[in-house]
Amino acid sequence: MTHRNHDPATDGGAGPVAELDDVTKKYRSGGETIAALSAVDFAVEPGEMVAVIGPSGSGKSTLLNVLGLLDVPTSGTVRLDGDDVTGYDDEARTMARRRTIGFVFQSFHLVPMLTATENVLVPTMFVKGDQTARARALLERLGLGDRLDHRPDQLSGGQRQRVAIARALVNEPRLLLADEPTGNLDRDTGRRILDEFERISTEEEVGVVAVTHDELVTEFTHRTVELVDGVIQ
Amino acid sequence: MGPLDAPALKMAWLNLQRNRLRTGLATLGIVIGVVAIAAIGITGTALQYGATQELGGLSNTVTVFPGEENEDGVITDPQVDSIERVATGAVVAPQRTETMEVASRSERRQVTVEAVSRPAALYDAAEGTIPTPMRSGALLNAEVAAELGVELGQTVSIGGRSYRIIAILDEPGGFGQGVSVVIPLDDVERDGYDQVTVVAADGEDAQRLAAEIPAELNQREEVVGTFTPADIQESVSGFFATLNAALLGVGSISLLVAGVSILNVMLMSVVERRAEIGVFRAVGIRRWEVMRMIVAEAALLGIVGGLVGVALSVLIGYTVNGQLHGQPMLVFQPRNLEFLALGFGFAVLASTLSGIYPAWKASTANPVEALRG
Repeated sequence: MTHRNHDPATDGGAGPVAELDDVTKKYRSGGETIAALSAVDFAVEPGEMVAVIGPSGSGKSTLLNVLGLLDVPTSGTVRLDGDDVTGYDDEARTMARRRTIGFVFQSFHLVPMLTATENVLVPTMFVKGDQTARARALLERLGLGDRLDHRPDQLSGGQRQRVAIARALVNEPRLLLADEPTGNLDRDTGRRILDEFERISTEEEVGVVAVTHDELVTEFTHRTVELVDGVIQ
Repeated sequence: MGPLDAPALKMAWLNLQRNRLRTGLATLGIVIGVVAIAAIGITGTALQYGATQELGGLSNTVTVFPGEENEDGVITDPQVDSIERVATGAVVAPQRTETMEVASRSERRQVTVEAVSRPAALYDAAEGTIPTPMRSGALLNAEVAAELGVELGQTVSIGGRSYRIIAILDEPGGFGQGVSVVIPLDDVERDGYDQVTVVAADGEDAQRLAAEIPAELNQREEVVGTFTPADIQESVSGFFATLNAALLGVGSISLLVAGVSILNVMLMSVVERRAEIGVFRAVGIRRWEVMRMIVAEAALLGIVGGLVGVALSVLIGYTVNGQLHGQPMLVFQPRNLEFLALGFGFAVLASTLSGIYPAWKASTANPVEALRG
C-alpha cells in the first residue's frame, strides 16, 4: 500500500499526513514531453520536517505543488490524511487546501494594503467566525506583537516572512509547505524562521515539507530528500 | 450570499484604492455616461415643459380661415352656422380684422384691430372684466395702452368712434395671440368674417374639429382651411420624444464605452495582481469567492460613478429648471427621477457586466502558473 522511503522521525501512530504513491507528472513543452516527476513515492508524517533538495528544474516545485493540491499528477495517487484526493475537482481541492494545508511562498506574497493581522486572516476571509484573536496570537508568538497593524511595506523581510508563516498557520493546517523559506532572508533571520518551523512541527504535530537550495535548512530537518530529474535519489 | 457580501466588498474597496488615479479615471467615464443620460434627459424635460407652457393656453383652439378656393376671401354666415353644427358645445367666435387709427388725446397709432363678439373665450383680462357677449367698449393690451398713455376706464378713439376701455388684456401666453385692440364684432361692418376661432374642450377635441370642419365645409371647393396649435403641440411632443430617444442612445453608448474602459482597467489590474490572486487560491479561497471580489470591485466603480453622476445631473437639472422656468424643484418631477434611475441603473449594470470577464479570468487562472510568474 504505502511506500516509505524513509522512516518517519516521530511515531504518531496515525498514518502520514500527505503521501504520494507512484506519482508521475508530465509537462508538454515545445512539442516535447518532460517528466517533472517520475514514479515518485513520498510521505510526510505529522510532526515530521522534511527538506527537499535538488538542482533547479529537478521537479522540487512540482512535488510541492502536487502535495499542496495546486497541481494534479499525470498518474499515481495523492493522499491527504489517508483520503485519496487524486480525483478531486478544483472546488474540492480548494476546500482541502483551506482545511489542511498551509503555504509559505518564497516571495511571501503578502497583500500590500492589508495590515499584518489582516494578511494572516486572508485564508479565513470567507469562512464564518472571527479568527482575529488567533491571528494576533500567532503573530505575537512569532515575535510580531508590536507589528500587528503594520502593512507589509513597513516590515522587514524577516518580519514579512513571519507574517506569511502566520498566514499559513491560521487555519490550523496539518501540512505546512514551504518554498525556499529562507531564500530571501539573511542567515540569522533564516535560522529564526527554521527554529519556528521546527517548533510548529514538533509542538503542533504538523508535517513540514520545505523545498530549498539552502543547506542551512537541512540542518533543521529530520530527513532530506534529493530530487534529480524528477526522480528521488 | 450576494456578490457584494462583506469580505468581497472590503477587498474590492481596498483594491480600488491601490491606484487612485486609475480608479478615478474609470469612475469619471461612468460619471460622464450617467450625466449624458440623466442630465440630458432632464434638460429635455425642462425644454419640453417650457414649450408646452408656451402653447398651453392655445392648444384647445382651432382657427378657421378662408381657403384657397374661397372666391369671396371671407367666411360667410352660413359657413359659420355649419361650423357651429360641427362643433357642438364648443365656443365659436367669428372675427374681423382691420387696421384702424387708435388715438388718445395726445397720441395716435395705426393698429390692427380685432372685432370679436365673444372675446372672453379667447383672451384673459389683466385689469377689468371682459363681458360676454361684448357689445360696447374696447379691450387694449398693456403695450398699446402705455403708448397711448391711457388707463382702464378712460376713453380712446378707434376708427373715429369713441370707446371706453373696459379691460386691459393679459400678456399673451404664447405666439399667435399678439392682439393689440379688440372691439365688438358689429363695429366693423362688413360681409363675412376674416377668421373664426373655435374653442374646443381640449387639444384632442381641437385636432378632431380641425379635421371635421373642413370635411363638412369643403365638400365641393376648399372654402376654408384650419389650423390648431394642438397639431404643433403634438409635433413638439413628438420632436422631444425623438430628441430624447436619440440623446438617450448617445448616453447609453457613452456608458457602454465607460463599461469597456472598466473592462480594460479590471483586466489590467487582474493581470498585475496575478500572483496575489494565485496566493488567494492557494490558501483555500474558492474560484467563486475570487470572482465575487473582482465583480464587487467593478460594481463599486459603477455605484460610486453612478452616485456622483446622479448628483451632478440633479445639480445640472436644478440649474436648468431654475434658469428656464424659475422653478428649480421641477428637477424632481417623476419623469426626471426615471432618467436618474435609468442612468444609475445602467451605470451599475454596465460596470458589473464589465467585471465579469476579468473576474472569470482571474478566478480560473492556474495558481501554479500565477505564483511562478
